[in-house]
This record gives sequence, structure tokens and C-alpha cells, in this order.
Amino acid sequence: MKVGILTDLTKCVGCEACVWACKEINELPREDGAARLSGTTWTAIERHGNVNVRRQCMHCEEPACASVCPVAAFQKTPEGPVIYLPDRCMGCRYCMIGCPFGMPKYEWDKPLPLVRKCILCYETRVKNGGQPACTAACPAGATIFGERDALIREARRRIEAEPGRYVDHVYGISEAGGTSVLYLSGVPFEKLGFRVDVREDPYPKLTWDILSKLPSVISVWGVSLLGIWWITHRRDDVAEAESHGHGGSAAGPDKDRH
Amino acid sequence: MTTGAAKMERWFGKFTFWKALLGVTIAIALYAAYVRFFHGLGASTNLSDQFPWGLWIGFDMLVGVALAAGGFVIAATVHVFRIEKYEEIARPTILTAFLGYLLVIVALLFDLGRPWNIWHPIIMWNPHSVMFEVGWCVMLYTTVLALEFSPLVFERFGWKMPLRLVQRIYTPLVIAGVLLSTMHQSSLGTLYVIAAGKLHPLWYSPWLPVYFFLTAIAGGLAMTIFESYMSFRAFGKRLEADLLQNLGRCAVVVLAVYAMWKAQDLLSRDQFATIFQVTPESVMFWGEIGLGVLLPMVLFATPRVRRNENGLFFAATLTILGLIVNRLNVAITGMSASSGTSYFPSFLEIVVTASIVGAGFTVFALAVKFFPVFPEAHAPAAAALPAAQKPEGAAAALARSRPAFGKAVLAGLWVLLIVGFVVVAATRGEGRIDTTTAEDLLDPKVAARAADLRLPEDYTFPQAESSPGPVTFSHETHVDGSQPRCATCHNGTFRLQEAGTPLRGGLTEERIHRGDLCASCHNGKDAFGIDDDNCSTCHR
Repeated sequence: MKVGILTDLTKCVGCEACVWACKEINELPREDGAARLSGTTWTAIERHGNVNVRRQCMHCEEPACASVCPVAAFQKTPEGPVIYLPDRCMGCRYCMIGCPFGMPKYEWDKPLPLVRKCILCYETRVKNGGQPACTAACPAGATIFGERDALIREARRRIEAEPGRYVDHVYGISEAGGTSVLYLSGVPFEKLGFRVDVREDPYPKLTWDILSKLPSVISVWGVSLLGIWWITHRRDDVAEAESHGHGGSAAGPDKDRH
Repeated sequence: MTTGAAKMERWFGKFTFWKALLGVTIAIALYAAYVRFFHGLGASTNLSDQFPWGLWIGFDMLVGVALAAGGFVIAATVHVFRIEKYEEIARPTILTAFLGYLLVIVALLFDLGRPWNIWHPIIMWNPHSVMFEVGWCVMLYTTVLALEFSPLVFERFGWKMPLRLVQRIYTPLVIAGVLLSTMHQSSLGTLYVIAAGKLHPLWYSPWLPVYFFLTAIAGGLAMTIFESYMSFRAFGKRLEADLLQNLGRCAVVVLAVYAMWKAQDLLSRDQFATIFQVTPESVMFWGEIGLGVLLPMVLFATPRVRRNENGLFFAATLTILGLIVNRLNVAITGMSASSGTSYFPSFLEIVVTASIVGAGFTVFALAVKFFPVFPEAHAPAAAALPAAQKPEGAAAALARSRPAFGKAVLAGLWVLLIVGFVVVAATRGEGRIDTTTAEDLLDPKVAARAADLRLPEDYTFPQAESSPGPVTFSHETHVDGSQPRCATCHNGTFRLQEAGTPLRGGLTEERIHRGDLCASCHNGKDAFGIDDDNCSTCHR
């Protein structure tokens, strides 16, 4: 079963219960506030006019972070959450470059920092059939946890039931190849700081299309180089044999010209 | 036996301004290392969540690896294509490449958040990661370079056995080196292919790997010319002029292919007009392509310039600068607009980079003194240029002044470009980022949402023995439905989790009277105070 979160921005009252519940369960310092994502704030409430936007990792179906990480420190779990294995991380921060949503944050003030982002309470809750701290804490029913397919059906039902209330788009169904976290909004998403130019294809495909061709390129290139070497090498040997009269060992071993 | 001071002088030569500068730079770099490893990347760099890769990746890594490309280009020329007159160039280029990769690794130790895990890709595989592939290639190629350089060490100490061993496997080694270089030189470009929508369209392209590969070859060729010139000035050792001129010719071809590929790519992606709009990106683009690709192409292609050693050196320098600007454009200029912030390297970032470059020059100089890097036969061959090409008399004076004038103009252009970049970088953060806090963004449906609020049920605290009556807390009376702020009370003491155990440390009379818990608001100012005659307000 793939799980996910549906956040209905028309229902969010901006109470920040999700933010503080997140900090509580993940034992994060509170000094950083609730207004923007950071190494110590894994979900935040951004205020856009009178719309409160709860941001968190989108938990892509095919996450760029997991694809780019050279040591597989990010992994997509079968249930849906994209989790982080800090013991593997070497701190290259390629995940931050790769993520189309800019979700991974860094502990810039620590000498030996880690990457930080929402892990959808995987170990503490979701793996054991529970729901994340943020959705559990929401008093407005604005952010709910459930099966991703069911959440998509629910989102579509809401749009159908109250077309005037929502823009006709569920953010996250197809963005970046689909995400576990979904949004409904009453105003266009681009006004709320959501990237609307994200590709519909999964991002890992971009680099994999190139990387997967390397073995073919390299094998052809390698054979070509060997061939060139064989020809030039042979030519030298022939020339050498001729200059020495009739050496008879034109095809003999390399005389080490280095 | 020599005395300590004489020994020092034999190793390091005379005390000069440049050596003093290097010493100071390295001292500051050590301080930078202290700040980096004891106070973090935030304290030592201008990097941020919006801008996670800066100078250390853009210059030390991308430029460092690209400039080391001469190593595999020349090795292939000599040992695969068997154009053996280039053999004498091979040693200094391989040394440069070897040092280059070692210094890239040193720089990475600064930049990586957890540098002691740098070996993790060896056992923790992710074949889908470009970085994983780059890591493996750099690791293997550095080993290949060490082996390619090893004959000099064996020769120096007269170790015959290992020398013969390495010579036997030299050709396979070179081919492996070319393959590994092809892979990771191009893959450094592939790194940015996943940054679709982040990297500016002037640089973003699915052809990035090809561009990185071609520019690395051109840069490697230029670097070989550059080094030869510098080595002559420093050690009186240089390489044959006609060899270097041919390298210049090759650079023209590579740069031309690159420029053409880039042009058709921009055209096919409807971005060609972008280069004629005046933006910070287009200025930097022209700096890179105009001064670093087209101009050196023209210079290398002009026989009069190519045959003049200053002209050749100058064109090579431009190519190298063009390569540096290209990598910085990809890593910094092109990533700025989408980041919503401005990045300019911190003083410490610049010092670390500078001292790594300085260390490169120093170790190169020491290696030249200690190992047979430059072939002895050519060491005194200072008159590399045929006398016939040397202008004489007044003409010579004119010829000397012309490159000097040209140099001044170009130096000026570069300075202008760099100053422009600094200004742009410094001012660009302003007026950017969301217009979304604008007041016109009002969702009328939002007013109704307070009605949706489903507050938690009332909670009755367990009654203590001394308590006058049980206290029942009601969210209804404590929450302003139109503007709820949970964190006012759920600030660490009243927990949001684990219903039924909301408190850490229990709710005691003593804590209340200390001004803690309920009393942090019920203090007579923010809400009614707690005193001896209103117990029954809460204790019912």
C-alpha cells in the first residue's frame, strides 16, 4: 500500500500544530520558528496573503534525491516515504542540487552536518501502521494521511463537489512523475510559491538516459582505441623491422619505447 | 653535507614576494580549515540551503578536473596514436594531472560535510547516481595517474624491476586512463542535467556531458602550452615550439566543434535570442564564449600569433580562463536566478581555493627539481623559436609593444567582466523572490475555515492531593478560532503528541507559582493572574 498526505490549503488555519508536532516527535530545536523550512524545521507554514501553505518534502514517487545520492543515503520505502540514512551520507549535497522542489536542507551551523528533511515519520509511525505526527496534530482536517490512491480520489471528489472553492488541479498527481504529498488550493499554485514548471517525467530519467548509455559508448570507444593502437603499433614495428634490414620479427613483442 | 639553511634553499629556492604571499595564504587557509571543521560550513562559506554548491565545487572540483585533462589527451597522443614526438610533453602533463586530481580530493575534504565518509561509494553503491560514477572514475583514474607517473620515481631511485613492470602495462594503463577520463570529464556535465529548470537555459542542455568533455580537451591542450611557458620562466626548461603550436591548432578544432555544437543546440532549443538580451547571464556567457572560445580560436588560427611564443601563451591563457568561466557559469552564474538568493564566495572560500592552487604550483616546482620531469636533452634548448621569425630593430619594438597593448586591453576586459559579475552577484538577491505575499492574494473561501476547526476534547488533569479541585482545560476557551497559534502553549512543555500525557514533568502547584505552565500566560497581564482568591475559576 502506498501512502501519502493530502493538504487542503483552503482549510488550513495556520495554527502551526503540524510544525510543532513535527519538532516534538523528531526532537528538533524550536528556535528556528515555523515560517520556513530549514535543517531544524522539516515542515513549515508559509504565509502568502491570507493563505497558509504548509510545506514539507513531497516524497516523490521517483525521487531525484535517491537517484543522485552516490551512497544511496536516500531511499524510497515501499510504503511511500523517502527516508534518509545518515550513517551513509558523506555530505556532498548533490541531493540539494537534484531535488526539483529544493526540499533537502543542511545543518550549516554544525561542524559535521547532516542533510535534513521530512521523512514522513517512517520509523516512528508509518512503518507500524500509524500516521505522521503532523497529520495527527492538525485540528482543522486540512492535512490528512491515507492511501495515496484514496487521497487522489478524495481530492477529485472535493473539487467536483465545490468547483468554486478550488483551482482544478491536484498538485502532486503528476508533478515530477507524481508525489506522495498532494495539495489542493483555492488560488493558483504559482502564486503560492509552488514550482509549476516542474517536469511531468520523473527527474531521475534525465540523468539515467545519459548514464545508461555509458557502457555502450565506453565499449565502442575502448575497442576503437585498441584498434588505433594496434594499427599504429604495427606500423611502427614494420618500419623498425625494415630499417634494421630484415629483422624478421616485425610482429614481435613491443621493444618498450617508453 | 649541506647545512639546514642551504638545504632549505636548495628545496625552496630564494625568498621571493610570491613565496611570501603563498605562505600567508596557506596560513589563512589553515585558519579556514579550523573554522570549517570546528564551526561548520555556514561559518566558513557563503553557502546556504538555496545555494548548496559554490566556489569549492565550481572551481576546485569542476575546473580542477577539467584542467587536468591534458594528462589523458597527451598520454593518448603518445601511446595510442603513437605520435611519439609528444613523449617529452607527456611527463609534465601527467604530473599536472596527477597533482590536479590530488588537489581536487583535498578540496573535496573541505567541501564534503562528512569527509571521513568519502570512501563510502566503494561499498555503498548507487549505480543510478552520476556522482557515484564520477567518484569511482576519479578514484581509479588517480590510481592510473599515479602509475603513469611512477616510472619517474623508479628512474630517480634506479629501481629497475618495478620500472619494467609498469612499462609492460603502460599501454593498457593509458587506454584505461582515456576511458575513465572520457567517462568522468563528461559526467561532471551530466551532474547538472538533473537540475532542469534550475540551471539557466544558456547552459542547461542534455548535451552538457559533450560540452564538458570537449572543453576539457581544449583546456587540457591549453594547459600544456601554459605550463611549458611557465616552466621556461621558472626553471629554464621548455618544450619544442612546433609541438606546442600544433597543440594550439588542435585546440582550434576542438573549440570550433564545441562552439558549433553549442550554437546549433541553442538554436534548436529556441534560446538563441537569449544571448542577445542584456542580462547578467548573457554578459557572463559572452565573457566565456567571446573571450574564452572565439578569441583564442582566432589567435591560435593566426600563424603570426601562433608562432610567437607570447601570442601562443596568451591564447592558451584565454582558453584556460574561458574554461574556468564556463565551469563557474554552470556552477554559480547559471544557478543564481533560480535559487532566489545571491551567492558570492566568502573570504575563506577564496583563500582555501587560492592556497590549493598555490600548493599545486609549489608541489609542481618541487617535483620538477626532484624528478626527471623535463627531459634533460631539451633543458638548454631555450632558443625554441627559429631566429628567422624574430622581428628585428624597430619592428621588434613594435611587435613587443603590440602584444603588451593587446594584453592590457584584454586584462581590462576580464577585470570588467569580473567586477560586473561581482556587482551583479551582490545586487541580484534584491527585488527577487516571491511576490506572493502581495495583498491581492486573498482567498475569499478562507474566512469560512475557522468553522472547520475541530479542537481536541477537553482534558481533565489528574488531581493532586493538595488540590482544591480538578482542573479541566478546554481548547474552546483558549483558542482564537480566526487566528489559532498552537505554539503559544505547545512550546515544548505542553506536548502535542501522546494524548493523555501532555506534560513533561507534571503539573504541580510549585511550577504554577514559579510562573511556569498555565502561569506563563495567566500572569495578570496576558491573561488573568492566579492568586489565592480565584482558585475556583479553574479548580472546579
